[in-house]
Amino acid sequence: MSEVVLKGLKKVYDNKVTAVHDVNLEIKDKEFIVLVGPSGCGKSTTLRMVAGLEEISDGELFIDGKLVNDVPPKDRDIAMVFQNYALYPHKTVYDNLAFALKLRKEPKDVIDKKVREVAEILDITQYLKRKPKALSGGQRQRVAIGRAMVRDPKVFLMDEPLSNLDAKLRNQMRAEIIKLRSRINTTFMYVTHDQTEAMTLGDRIVIMKDGYVNQIGTPQEVFNRPVNLFVAGFIGMPVMNFFDHCKLLLEDGVYYAEIRGVKFKLGDFQQKALKQNNAQPCDIVAGIRPQHVTVGEGELSAKIEVSEMMGSEYNIHARSGDDEVVMLIPTVDLTTDVSMGKTINFTTRPHLIQLFDRETGNNLIWYDAESATNNAPVCKRYDF
Amino acid sequence: MEAKTMKQPALTKKEKAPRKKMTREKRIRYFKDNSPYLLMILPAVLIVFLFNYLPIYGVLIAFQDFMPGDKILSDSTIWVGFQNFERFFSDPQFWPLMKNTFLICIIGFVIGFPLPIIVSLMLNAMKGKKTAKVLQTIFNGPHFISLVVLVGMLTLFFGRYGLVNNIAAHFGGERYSYFLESKAFRPMYILSSNWQDFGWSAIIYIAALSNVDPQQHEAAILDGATRFQRVMHVDLPAIMPMVSVMLIMSIGGLMGVGYEKALLMQTDGNLAVSELISTYVYKRGLTGVPDQAYATAIGLFNSIINVVLLIIANTTSKKFSENSLW
Repeated sequence: MSEVVLKGLKKVYDNKVTAVHDVNLEIKDKEFIVLVGPSGCGKSTTLRMVAGLEEISDGELFIDGKLVNDVPPKDRDIAMVFQNYALYPHKTVYDNLAFALKLRKEPKDVIDKKVREVAEILDITQYLKRKPKALSGGQRQRVAIGRAMVRDPKVFLMDEPLSNLDAKLRNQMRAEIIKLRSRINTTFMYVTHDQTEAMTLGDRIVIMKDGYVNQIGTPQEVFNRPVNLFVAGFIGMPVMNFFDHCKLLLEDGVYYAEIRGVKFKLGDFQQKALKQNNAQPCDIVAGIRPQHVTVGEGELSAKIEVSEMMGSEYNIHARSGDDEVVMLIPTVDLTTDVSMGKTINFTTRPHLIQLFDRETGNNLIWYDAESATNNAPVCKRYDF
Repeated sequence: MEAKTMKQPALTKKEKAPRKKMTREKRIRYFKDNSPYLLMILPAVLIVFLFNYLPIYGVLIAFQDFMPGDKILSDSTIWVGFQNFERFFSDPQFWPLMKNTFLICIIGFVIGFPLPIIVSLMLNAMKGKKTAKVLQTIFNGPHFISLVVLVGMLTLFFGRYGLVNNIAAHFGGERYSYFLESKAFRPMYILSSNWQDFGWSAIIYIAALSNVDPQQHEAAILDGATRFQRVMHVDLPAIMPMVSVMLIMSIGGLMGVGYEKALLMQTDGNLAVSELISTYVYKRGLTGVPDQAYATAIGLFNSIINVVLLIIANTTSKKFSENSLW
């Protein structure tokens, strides 16, 4: 069992800047949790508090049921992979892997066995005698992961481990981490600012902004049920289209979303949810994912500014009034001319429209006003 | 697998393609492209040439029967070959001078070389960075004291009626003439030199330590390394290239001890140990009846020892580590 529980974790620096506000998180045994958010959102600070590299200003941290706020990092039974690999440049790969075990004064044969096992798993056996400077970025990253693995930790912490790699290598290493995870089967806490990494790696994703947790959920949940504008805009590639100055209308007990003067009758689920939430007509921001746009039909129109042929799909950047609209249209579905400068009609399926309160930015359907605290919005559950 | 796209090892000299000679146009373009940088280093090159290379011409007098006022090269120049060197080797002062110079230098080196390294590692490992900075500033202070003032301070402290003797006398002890005693010369000379320079010499190591990736320390903390182990496994290896370079340079200048401080501290009582090659060169070349040819020969001999030491140190360092001056 290696559960990690963060209870009201807070970090205030000496200059009174609060980097992390009241983070509450329960990470289950063997769960892969990803902390994601823009730079300065507090994700790395949270991870470093778990590692013991940052003092916890307030709150409690439990690892495996034990309160570890004042336990030194080496006694927390955790291992960490750093963004810059943090390999010892003067030591060989073998010595880098063996260092922690040597400090623990483990017998030489045990150290040798563990190092070779890990090197085998990571396919770095042939580099054991080399020094880090004689390795490529990907190989160094493997050594860094190996150094954490040999310790056989309860919790594996990773602080943007792929951000120093080029795009191709990053994709490869991402796949390697997924494989690795299935092999070593332990609890992972992974920090990244890349939402693709977060979506592909995490069992659950914690989305942070300005030191606050904005949403915790599975990749599907945060993609389909974003609790506020920030989460909706942060998760998904390309970014969700937002239409400002829209309206939520209620006519004869039926809800409509009015976007640029065009009325969309909302889907059954939305009708029920809005009724349950007793939603009143108001100004909203409507969100439509680029993947959910259909061109060549509908009453909304936009002028194409950039049209990118990506092979299997077109990535179209268009302007509709004040709003920029991005559309991701599969090539096989395309019957309309989408060359630059053309004006096209477009629409979407109404049940895929996300509705955000214009004042608060909260999702009218998914933001749970009752159970949410100021510091951590919660995604609402419905029985129907 | 990414592992198969491993970086190729560096090519050996034989495997490297021969360097093509630069064409005239390329050379002109090179100078044009780099003209601002070349102009910037020009003053430094001129100064080095004027004050370091041009005077080398003067070593010719070591091979002449030279009298003050003679021209270095003229029709009347009398060449005597290695006669001046032979004179020095048969001089009764030769072995005492060698011994004194060698002992002052080697003891000073053994104490003085590791001191700034230890100080820099300690300052770097201190938790309170403000305190470390204050200490570093305090340690740098003595470097700016002139040699004359330093020897004056030594006199104030260790003179017959100086602080140390006054304290000793206060407690019923006898007054001791430190400056007249041969035994006291070397400790006073070496320790005061090291006191004056350890902080200043530490700057270069502190600068090197500031480049150590903090994540390496964090990784070591997670690995379970103590503060001392972190110094030994992270900090010290990080400054080793710098230590190697400084070591080579120190060994290269090992016998190059200056004459000023020794002369200022010299008395009839300590002359047997305070007479160094440099003070002897000064006395023979510039005082009494100057014998400049002889003094130059001794100076040149001293410089040759330094060059040989530099080459040995560099070659050894190259062989056993990856660091060398050339």
